[in-house]
Amino acid sequence: MSIIAIVALAIIVMLAGGFYVGRSRAISAVSGATARLHSLPNFHGYYVAIWTGLPAFILLAAYGMFGSGLVDRLTAMELRRDAAALTASFETALEADTETLALAETLAVLRDRADGVAEAMADLRSASGSDRDPARLEALQSEQTDLVNQLATAEDARLGRRAELRDGVSDEAAEAGASVRALAGFELAHAPRERRQLFLSDARRIATDGLASRASPELDAAAAVMRRHADQIRNLVAGIAIAIAFGGLIRTRGQVAAAFRARNHVESLVTAMLFLSSVIAIMTTIGIVFSLLFESLRFFSTVPLTEFLFGLQWSPQIALRADQVGQSGAFGAVPLFAGTAMITVIAMIVAVPIGLLSAIYLSEYAGPRFRLTAKPVLEILAGVPTVVYGFFALLTVGPAIRGFFAMIGIDDVVTQSALSAGLVMGVMIIPFISSLSDDVINSVPQSLRDGSYAMGATKSETIGRVIIPAALPGIVGAILLAVSRAVGETMIVVMAAGQGANLTANPLESVTTITVQIVMLLTGDQEFDSPKTLSAFALGLVLFVITLVMNVIALRVVQRYREKYD
Amino acid sequence: MTDTSPNPAAELPIKVVARDVTVSYSGKQALHDVSIEIPDRSVTAFIGPSGCGKSTFLRCLNRMNDTIDGAKVGGSLTIDGQEINDKSIDPVVLRASVGMVFQKPNPFPKSIYDNVAYGPRIHGLALTRPELDEIVENALRKAGLWEEVSDRLNHPGTSLSGGQQQRLVIARAIAVNPEVILMDEPCSALDPIATARIEELIDELRENYCIIIVTHSMQQAARVSQQTAFFHMGNLVEYGPTEDIFTNPRDTRTQDYITGRFG
Amino acid sequence: MTDTPDISPIRTAVSKNLGARYRAELRFRAAGLAAVAAAVGILVILLSSIVSGGLPAFTVNELELTVDLDEELVDPSGERSEDSLRRGSYSRVLQNAIRTEFPEVTGRRELRNLFSLYTALNATRLMDEVLEDPGLIGTQHRFTMPLADDLDLYLKGLLVEERSFQPQGTLSLEPSDAGVVVRSTATDFRDLAAEIARTLRARATLLETEADRLTERAQELSGTEAEDMLYDADLNRRQAADIRARLEIDAGPIELDNSLPSILVESEGRTVRLASLARNGAGGTGEYLLGGDSVEAENAWSIQVIDTPVERRRVSDQLIVWTRALEERGAISSTFNTYLFANADSREPELAGVKGALYGSILTMIITIIISVPIGVFTALYLEEYAPKNRFTALIEVNINNLAAVPSIVFGLLGLAVFINAFGLPRSAPLVGGLVLSLMTLPTVIIATRAALKAVPQSIRQAALAVGASRTQTVFHHVLPLAAPGILTGAIIGLAQAMGETAPLLMIGMVAFIADAPTLGLEGFTEPATVMPVQIFLWSDGAERAFEARTAAAILVLLALMIGFNALAIYLRRRFERRW
Repeated sequence: MSIIAIVALAIIVMLAGGFYVGRSRAISAVSGATARLHSLPNFHGYYVAIWTGLPAFILLAAYGMFGSGLVDRLTAMELRRDAAALTASFETALEADTETLALAETLAVLRDRADGVAEAMADLRSASGSDRDPARLEALQSEQTDLVNQLATAEDARLGRRAELRDGVSDEAAEAGASVRALAGFELAHAPRERRQLFLSDARRIATDGLASRASPELDAAAAVMRRHADQIRNLVAGIAIAIAFGGLIRTRGQVAAAFRARNHVESLVTAMLFLSSVIAIMTTIGIVFSLLFESLRFFSTVPLTEFLFGLQWSPQIALRADQVGQSGAFGAVPLFAGTAMITVIAMIVAVPIGLLSAIYLSEYAGPRFRLTAKPVLEILAGVPTVVYGFFALLTVGPAIRGFFAMIGIDDVVTQSALSAGLVMGVMIIPFISSLSDDVINSVPQSLRDGSYAMGATKSETIGRVIIPAALPGIVGAILLAVSRAVGETMIVVMAAGQGANLTANPLESVTTITVQIVMLLTGDQEFDSPKTLSAFALGLVLFVITLVMNVIALRVVQRYREKYD
Repeated sequence: MTDTSPNPAAELPIKVVARDVTVSYSGKQALHDVSIEIPDRSVTAFIGPSGCGKSTFLRCLNRMNDTIDGAKVGGSLTIDGQEINDKSIDPVVLRASVGMVFQKPNPFPKSIYDNVAYGPRIHGLALTRPELDEIVENALRKAGLWEEVSDRLNHPGTSLSGGQQQRLVIARAIAVNPEVILMDEPCSALDPIATARIEELIDELRENYCIIIVTHSMQQAARVSQQTAFFHMGNLVEYGPTEDIFTNPRDTRTQDYITGRFG
Repeated sequence: MTDTPDISPIRTAVSKNLGARYRAELRFRAAGLAAVAAAVGILVILLSSIVSGGLPAFTVNELELTVDLDEELVDPSGERSEDSLRRGSYSRVLQNAIRTEFPEVTGRRELRNLFSLYTALNATRLMDEVLEDPGLIGTQHRFTMPLADDLDLYLKGLLVEERSFQPQGTLSLEPSDAGVVVRSTATDFRDLAAEIARTLRARATLLETEADRLTERAQELSGTEAEDMLYDADLNRRQAADIRARLEIDAGPIELDNSLPSILVESEGRTVRLASLARNGAGGTGEYLLGGDSVEAENAWSIQVIDTPVERRRVSDQLIVWTRALEERGAISSTFNTYLFANADSREPELAGVKGALYGSILTMIITIIISVPIGVFTALYLEEYAPKNRFTALIEVNINNLAAVPSIVFGLLGLAVFINAFGLPRSAPLVGGLVLSLMTLPTVIIATRAALKAVPQSIRQAALAVGASRTQTVFHHVLPLAAPGILTGAIIGLAQAMGETAPLLMIGMVAFIADAPTLGLEGFTEPATVMPVQIFLWSDGAERAFEARTAAAILVLLALMIGFNALAIYLRRRFERRW
């Protein structure tokens, strides 16, 4: 780091120097008569400084982002080469192992059967009239669940056997006196992902003289390799950075002349930079779409899309051990959609009347002073972090609901219920609805109000019969935006709605939502490639699509509405 | 200070009487001591340069100034001898009997039928649907719009042309059968042909209503009105039969204005 | 002019149902006001529940003990090296100190109970003090530590309901084989005995009613379900009968069990818990919780009743008595809770603090500011001042509007898939958290900046262009400075929002338990960390009740920060606001 810091400092000095050189050269080129310059002397300075500093800093930033990853990769590659012999013997052991072969065969058979069942189900689903056979569909569904379980078990067994063989090879090699580098390389080539990452991060800690959680000769060997690569890359980057900074300085310094259009050059660079910034927004969307799509497709290669969208059972626990077949993985997301819908509906029942009525009251009835105090109060509600609402639901609203129902004689109400999450989410949405409706109501032209008052209508008649109908599209848009926000809200439901994937219409039970499941699936220890983890991305994709569609519609409705009265 | 004749058309009964009416917006006086008597069943035009207080005075007549924060109205204003600024007079009742048409046509975003039926509905004037249908048809006929829209009463009012919209708004106003109709530059947003139709309509309506019209156009005042009042800087400068005002103004300001020296 | 006001038909018609219309008007208006009141009321409830829940966490009851830093225990190899000092048995030192306070406690179980007055993690704190100043070894050192969380809550009056009163008679305590016999010369326990009898009777009635209900329900059902219900009903009846038998006059003294309030008799450093109450209300039998000698005709005594029964609270009578004794001896004092701010997270609520989360938030926000503000402002400048009106620009605009409404958790998924899995950046690190929050905040900053740029009148641009400035000069010399206050306000509001965001950070692993605060330096950006809202989420899940108060306190800290941010935004807006 320190070398890089020195280089960064040196580049800053060169950059400042470049500015000075460019400026003074420009002035001396016209011997002080700056009016003869095409561009102001400062622009010549900027021009030289930008070409001195910018490329070098981009290089340094890239090094900062990806340097350690590159070092890891190089280290792993080098060590893996050393472990070639071990890898070869591991592969022969794998090929020779009858158990592995048998398991691979079982897997192939199971996959065939699963494909067959999926096909049959698809046929049945698309069938119509007398060909429809719900009983058979159900039978197939249960067979499918069964097959998924068996597949998972077999896959686990295969991985377990593989690990066994791997450990065997590595133990044997250690006893036979193989080099520590080879052992380290073998670990890096064939251990499961988490172990590899842990190994690398420990090696990195040792290499940078930090405290590692453990120490071993393999780690020390890996650390030595890593240190060498890190030093090489660092020195290389430092050298190149200085070189391009210096090169840029020399080259651009030569360009400075009276007629040189430095300002145009600088300005087009600025424009390019601004343009690139605005592209980041697009890149973000592309990133979201691709990362969600990519992982979801991997998920849908194991769990059929129809099963995911129409299945009634959600329990994403893939069997962890062979004897855990009963603990199946079922990826029917309907209970999540239902839970999300229920909580959203409850939230809207709270938020729409309160939000709309307060917006109407504040914009049509309230005096300016009342408005000036009440509006910021509503805005505070919008500024409260959602985790605080979650805590409020958990600590105050949940027990209050429970107490209320116990009072009227219903005892079995849980604290974490759809009702409590929905109510609190409704409160969170109130300011959203009220501020959007406020905008919409205020953009109804005064002439319509005047027209109605001049007919002798009272305020409430004017509001109910003229303003609201006129503002309706805008209000609908606002509500749609609010719904999309409620659907995507996470913390309140994570904390207040519980986790049971119940398919129920009773708001007093605990339900789960899309967002809750994403959190549940992706927090804690995870294997990145299991369907369990990938299903979170599929849920994320659903969430993204739902909210996107609602936003697009809402924004369009609101925009049309605005155009109508502008 | 000004020389106004209280009743320029002695043969007609007096409908509206103003005595020393003043209006101020947040302390700024916009109208100074206006006194005027306006006869029934005729058209009275208010003319004058912009900002002269003619619209402000018009808005006093149905208490639309109440809807503006900080507006204060003083003096006495009576319709049929009844003080309209009196506490006992409800603005809702007053406005039901004093219709108003605005500068820009402002049909509600509803169907043509619902626009016209708006007043009768809120005031509960029709008990049955046929009654309401009759009221709507009558109002549209009086406004000269029935022939054009009778086959598309369910279309939105905003789908009509500007001139039709303005006639729709007039139909909306007369659907409750008011006594006075106020018109605030009703033709300023319309083309000449639509303007001509509206002026024709105003002339027809004169048979039954007391019509007060604010206008920018002196030609229009000359065409449609029987009485004309000239306002300037918040004062009523001159008031009399339209002919007299245009042919024989007594005040130099009126003369300067109608001859186009300012305005 | 007509002489009599002639009321026209329209006026009559309108006046007819005016009353109903005005009542409707009033109802509507009231509904609107009620809606505003509801929103404000909910905010008040929300804030007051959090303030009242969080305030107790800002004070702490500290136990101050004289610890004997015996060289043999603290420095086993006697060489004063860090290594040796780290191997010292500091928990023994603490145990010895608390044992000198209560020398009468000897049994293993009792001792373990005694040591639960504080958490064992305090030994590490003691070690740190010794490591800092090895000169303490061999001395008597005054060491302060927070009291165990439940006892802290007890002293704050949040754990149990209790009352005490002065008796009329004089007390005598007489140790016997089965404990101690308590006698008062007056019937000081009579009201308590009656109260307990009432409680028991009510309990029996409740059991019987429930039994009747079950029997009734069972008649409507059949099969095993009905049988189970009848069985339960029978059980209830038997329990009720037992309770009633206990209350019979000739059944002897009333036994006090864990489901009934605890009655403690206190006198001059002795405390007896009653196990039974005599019928006549003049005493009972019990056991010593503190002290153990007999007493004759003592006047200075009191009766303490802990109404919350033992089975419904987390601390035993014994711990309460010890705590009260320590408090009376002046070893416990209530002070401002510095642990809340000086410590990072801990499994023990009394040692858990927000420092780690605060540092994590600061580091994350630094990244967010560095990335989202410049990029957001640049994007807005491009779209507002430079971009040609073409399809690509329209695409960017639609895109930004939609990004603003993408659920935050989706940004978390993006961070997980791209920054962590594809780029290989470290999990749980403020760097990644900041990147994710930057992308999330970007639309807010862009939209606010565009609004600020739009508010700069076109005339300023035209004036600058007219004197020959280039577009870039116009923008950077004239438009941007004028729009700066608006941009700043928008950016601060966006950042405050990001600071309160939780969900996306859960996705990238900032939800781990991290006992050390990250370094406030360059390397801190890649160290595992958590942030304030995530800390709140983690604590809200904590099993110990004391975490409830900590959570609320952490929320107050977060809200204070956010209010500070927003106040700054409002100040800037007021200070630099310009109207054209």
